Amino acid sequence: MKINLSLNGKGMELEVDPMALALDVLRGLSLTGTKEGCGVGVCGACTIMVNGSPVSSCLCLTGTLADKDVWTIEGLAEKMPELIDSFVENEGMQCGICTPGQIVAAASIDSVGASSPEEVKKYMAGNLCRCTGYQTILSAVEDHVAVN
Amino acid sequence: MQSTDTEFLIPSSVSEALSSIALEDAIFLGGGTSTALLYKTRMIEPSRVVWLGNVGELKGIFTSPTEVKIGSMVTMAEIAADREIARLLPGVSTAAGVIGNARVRAMATLGGALAHADPRQDLPPALIAVDAKVSVRNASSSREINLADFYEGFLETVLSPDELITEVTVPILQNRRSSYLRYTPTSEGDYPTVGAGASLTFNEDGKSISTATLVLCGVGAVPIVSSEAGLALAGTTGDDSALLRAAELVRGAVDPQDDERGTADYKRDMAAVFAYRALKACLNS
Ligand SMILES: Cc1cc2nc3c(=O)[nH]c(=O)nc-3n(C[C@H](O)[C@H](O)[C@H](O)COP(=O)(O)OP(=O)(O)OC[C@H]3O[C@@H](n4cnc5c(N)ncnc54)[C@H](O)[C@@H]3O)c2cc1C
Ligand code: FES
Ligand code: FES
Repeated sequence: MKINLSLNGKGMELEVDPMALALDVLRGLSLTGTKEGCGVGVCGACTIMVNGSPVSSCLCLTGTLADKDVWTIEGLAEKMPELIDSFVENEGMQCGICTPGQIVAAASIDSVGASSPEEVKKYMAGNLCRCTGYQTILSAVEDHVAVN
Repeated sequence: MQSTDTEFLIPSSVSEALSSIALEDAIFLGGGTSTALLYKTRMIEPSRVVWLGNVGELKGIFTSPTEVKIGSMVTMAEIAADREIARLLPGVSTAAGVIGNARVRAMATLGGALAHADPRQDLPPALIAVDAKVSVRNASSSREINLADFYEGFLETVLSPDELITEVTVPILQNRRSSYLRYTPTSEGDYPTVGAGASLTFNEDGKSISTATLVLCGVGAVPIVSSEAGLALAGTTGDDSALLRAAELVRGAVDPQDDERGTADYKRDMAAVFAYRALKACLNS
């Protein structure tokens, strides 16, 4: 099936299996910054941004991306360099496997209007990290929220 | 994942969606969060998927002084962010805001959340406690179902495969207060061990309770309404001893199973504790 969508700011028509997972389709397009962790919607490693909201690409049937504005870590890293800087300055990563998902989630935080540290924490709770202990990630996201 | 020949339709109106479903093993698709998981493991292999994402008619939230109507394609995040729902139906707002994680809430829709029928889900008890009605249509007729009568068993509802949930209506009563609380001993985003939705409706004097509804999830094959607890509260002033007595009655109504979220006995204890807290939360709302 052919779908139209905007991917990382570029309008395009893609021939896709609508029932394939967005995770597999995006990685197939060499957008391998999107990672698979749990594969069941829990960990957040596969987070992409769809119309401004965070979405688990491991639970996203590609047909549902028709006519949507889709961003992956590759596009967001270019579009929001200050967000990447905030993660670097706060040392919000160690092994790095969860980091693309953390950053895409942070980039989508406006979708819920979270601003206080408590709201940021609740919003980011679905992005798991096995290394950092979270505090540095939360600081990076709080800094990002503070300047935006 | 191997590719399949599932037909994927994107209707732009309710009538188009209803005529598209007329095919054996065709399914409606909302946010797809539960469908993707079932499809991934090939627990379902529909020949046709009718995705409702472009049906604008199903996407509104309408509040009036007498009722709240929520379209079936409204997401959990939208329900949780709606100020009027938070003011008029705090339990529903809370339930929508604690489901899974921010990504699930951004994708999952009201229709999908109700039709999925996992007895641990948060929204059903919150909505049943405030007498929600589900509007349903197929190509030839429509009906309204009390959400309290909607569930038949684990992942089973009274819906027939060609029936589309169009919206949910909740009556607004000036003298009613409601709440939802859940208990998740594991991680923040996990399903609850037990959840309790409650509502207390007061008589005109504003002091004595006319009707009370207490609904539990996670402790049976379907959401459980404890009518004994409701009856025990009617006529009281909702003082602490009345709330405690009513909450204890929940033990007899629930039918929990041992699993990784606790033993059956533990869940029965927690059901009583959270029933009490949910009732208390109504008074403080
Ligand atoms: C990681 C994760 C964590 C979760 N945690 C929680 C939790 O803590 N609490 C909780 O309550 N739930 C939780 N859930 C479950 C979640 O609530 C459901 O997956 C979700 O609500 C389903 O909505 P959907 O729109 O994505 O459904 P879909 O997958 O689109 O559909 C689900 C079912 O509903 C049918 N359907 C959809 N729309 C309609 C309609 N309008 N009319 C008729 N039938 C329809 C579909 O045919 C399908 O059978 C979790 C899910 C995940 C993946
Ligand atoms: S891989 Fe998608 S949420 Fe874990
Ligand atoms: S940095 Fe290793 S899992 Fe988060």
